[in-house]
Amino acid sequence: MSPSKESTQDTDAYPPQAVYSLRDFTSPAASEPFYQNYQFGVPIALDIGSSQVRIGLTNSTLPNNVFPSTTARYKDRKTGQMLTLVGNDVYRDPLSKSSIRTIYDGTVITNWDHVEYLLDYSFEHLGVHSDNGRVDNPIIMTEPVTSTVAQRKGMYELLFEVYQAPKVTFGIDSLFSYYANCDGKPNNGLVVGGGNESTHLFPVLDGRGVLSQTKRIDWGGNQSQQFLSKLLALKYPYFPSKLTPAQTTLMFQDFSYISDDYQEELKHFLDMDQLETKDVVIQAPVDLGTPEKKKTEQELAQQAERRREQGRRLQEQARQRRAEKLVQKEEELAYFVQLKQEFEVLSEVQIQKKLEAENFEDINDFNKYITGLEKSIKKQKYGEDDDSDDEIDPLTAWPLVDIPDDQLSPENIKEKRKQRLHKANFDARQKNIEAKKQEEELKAQYEKEQAEFREKDLEGWCSTKRIELAKFINRIKERQKILDSFKDRKSVAAQQRMKNIADLANDESGSTNANSRKRRRNATSTIDNDPNDTFGANDDDWNLYRDISNVNLEEEQAEDHTSVLALEAELLDHDPNFHHEDTLAATSTFDWKNSALHKFIHGPRPNISLAMQIEGIDPDEIATKPEIILKNHQLHLNVERIRVPEILFEPHIAGLDQAGISEISQDLFLRRLDGNFKPGGQSYNVVQDIFITGGLSRLPNFDTRIVKEFTSFLPVGAPIRVRKARDPTVDPWKGMQLWSSTNECESSYVTKAEYDEYGPEYIKEHGLGNVSLL
Amino acid sequence: MADLELSQLSYVTTKHHSFKSSTKVKPSNKRFKPARQLISDEIKYLQTKSLKFDTPTLTSITAPPTLKPSKKYCDITGLEGKYRSPSNNLRFYNVEIYQEVIRHMPPGLDQEYLSLRGANVILK
Repeated sequence: MSPSKESTQDTDAYPPQAVYSLRDFTSPAASEPFYQNYQFGVPIALDIGSSQVRIGLTNSTLPNNVFPSTTARYKDRKTGQMLTLVGNDVYRDPLSKSSIRTIYDGTVITNWDHVEYLLDYSFEHLGVHSDNGRVDNPIIMTEPVTSTVAQRKGMYELLFEVYQAPKVTFGIDSLFSYYANCDGKPNNGLVVGGGNESTHLFPVLDGRGVLSQTKRIDWGGNQSQQFLSKLLALKYPYFPSKLTPAQTTLMFQDFSYISDDYQEELKHFLDMDQLETKDVVIQAPVDLGTPEKKKTEQELAQQAERRREQGRRLQEQARQRRAEKLVQKEEELAYFVQLKQEFEVLSEVQIQKKLEAENFEDINDFNKYITGLEKSIKKQKYGEDDDSDDEIDPLTAWPLVDIPDDQLSPENIKEKRKQRLHKANFDARQKNIEAKKQEEELKAQYEKEQAEFREKDLEGWCSTKRIELAKFINRIKERQKILDSFKDRKSVAAQQRMKNIADLANDESGSTNANSRKRRRNATSTIDNDPNDTFGANDDDWNLYRDISNVNLEEEQAEDHTSVLALEAELLDHDPNFHHEDTLAATSTFDWKNSALHKFIHGPRPNISLAMQIEGIDPDEIATKPEIILKNHQLHLNVERIRVPEILFEPHIAGLDQAGISEISQDLFLRRLDGNFKPGGQSYNVVQDIFITGGLSRLPNFDTRIVKEFTSFLPVGAPIRVRKARDPTVDPWKGMQLWSSTNECESSYVTKAEYDEYGPEYIKEHGLGNVSLL
Repeated sequence: MADLELSQLSYVTTKHHSFKSSTKVKPSNKRFKPARQLISDEIKYLQTKSLKFDTPTLTSITAPPTLKPSKKYCDITGLEGKYRSPSNNLRFYNVEIYQEVIRHMPPGLDQEYLSLRGANVILK
């Protein structure tokens, strides 16, 4: 069982996880509808939030337009025209995406030019028209809780001076939403408004929001989105594409949920069975481009085949050429042999003449040439190994070696030298064979001894082997520690090494102080031509470099690894209790099921690229595999799914020094309200209607968590009831529409004349709005 | 999407609006104040007012700091964080997180993690 086999079995054992594709914001195909039923004098309700705008005339029960509160103003490159886009239209052109602006900076409006564009766009879509250059409708508008004076002033200026609206009133979106969900008859309750930029808790008494007891947590959908984005950037630092805010927003909306019991769920979140259902895989779009790749592989094979063919052809040609040459040489030899025979009957002079005609110097030269020819022909015909030494008799092969030089002619001395060389060669080979034989014998003996040992006392043998193995493994681990500690600059080993290097650089050649002083005096000498520098004169000097580098350690490490392998092989063969799982390699291979980090990053599946590395596939090749490319474009959401929404209950998770929803509520119910949970008491009334609204109210389990948290501090039997807004985004507008027909609304309008008289701080207080500071 | 359509969409906003007086002043080029300044202006403005103690204002409705001991979470995974790295104050879930992530963390990354919970060092 090899590790690779195991891992493939693993992948077989797990079904593929469900993969969600990364969603991006897309605008609806149809453009914003225009309202057909415009009437003068009918109040217009505008809910301009920091993420979405809801607008409509109040003679309809639904807002006519709901669109993101984004604007973009940029010059179109093709036409050179200035484009001003609002809402969904911003997303219709990929070019405009870079110039997307929102009118808000945090909770306050900062970009008033764009507010005006947004209002122009809104009024046009509501079918507002006029013959006197003004918007002839009362305006009901949302504003932030404890709106800044600057913001109200800006809005008054726009509505009264630019649009010349007759009268305007402001209110708070969460309270309007509560109003709508109480069908216009709000009584007592606690409104939890989870907005885009902040979360508010409003107690409502007798149908009026109690602003003085309201608390704001500076955490909303936008902060959640940013926090998730940061978490993912840290979790996947090499993620190939950048996540846009729109993408993380949708991720947050789609997959996060509030945990009913955060501590308990967190404890077991990464358990395999839990993770199986809770891990969410998100696939970012990726272009694989595989078909092209395959074609080139085929082509590569063809190319290789062609090259081989060509090689074969060349070999064939060379063989033919050799054969031709052989024939030529044979003819030449025949000719010269005949010539030699002729020489026997000729005089010396004639021979010399003939030789010179054939371009030879003398008869020696001629003979040499002929023997050379003979040799080469022989070689070609019968191969090269005709002078092999297999039947050499060491006693007779080298007759000259043992005869002293003075008894030999100079030629024989030369020959003797040659023979001596051959003999030495032969002896060395013989010695090698002998050594090998001996080694084998030793090994056989060792095996025999071991076998006897085993037969006598298997247990004893096992334990001694195991002790030996443990010793090696310990040594390997110790050494690994030292090697690892070199990576840490501050470790003792690394510091010692730095010291060595520093000594070397300073002056390692044992120079005395006088020496170095002399060198210092000798200004012209540099490190390259210093006469006092004797480093290298002694060969041992160079060992220093060996000490500095960790080659020694690594070599020893490798040696020990081989001995461990040998010992393990023996144990595997003979020890019945030693299995593959017990080998060092198996125990040190990665057990991903017990790795919190692996499960956090890769979810409940093995790491396929790691498995491929174990199988020995080239890393470059791994990187081009389609499944790896797909995997590199995947995100796993697991702990984040509950970690981000949990911030509403524990803001300190995000470094916010504020109390969470339940702590604020506890304070409210037990201390700031009358704390009376008997029928008729304030707290008794309020706790019966806890109402969650705003975009964050769509988080699953928000209500059940609130019930659970609140019961922990409420007295036993407190009649807690929690509900969510029917439609958290549109309900504020519906509330405004409902409210617009009431007397309370009628009496809270500020007219142009009043604005002119009292200034921008002036509002008329009502149950669903801010408190006047005047 | 065709250019024509985009320019038509833009035209809805930029055309002459019958509900705006024709003597409309062009949008001024003045710089708008950033949120931070607007909020500090508001705080200054509130100080000029003699408000009752329970008048809700931008600052007074801010949630108070928590009185409960805060739970410790692993900075890397978000799981329970029982341990703290002495060298960079990162909290971690178990020894594996420490050995694999925190011990050989490149400089600066620890601050990124700490900034998630506002515990990073801010140089001014």
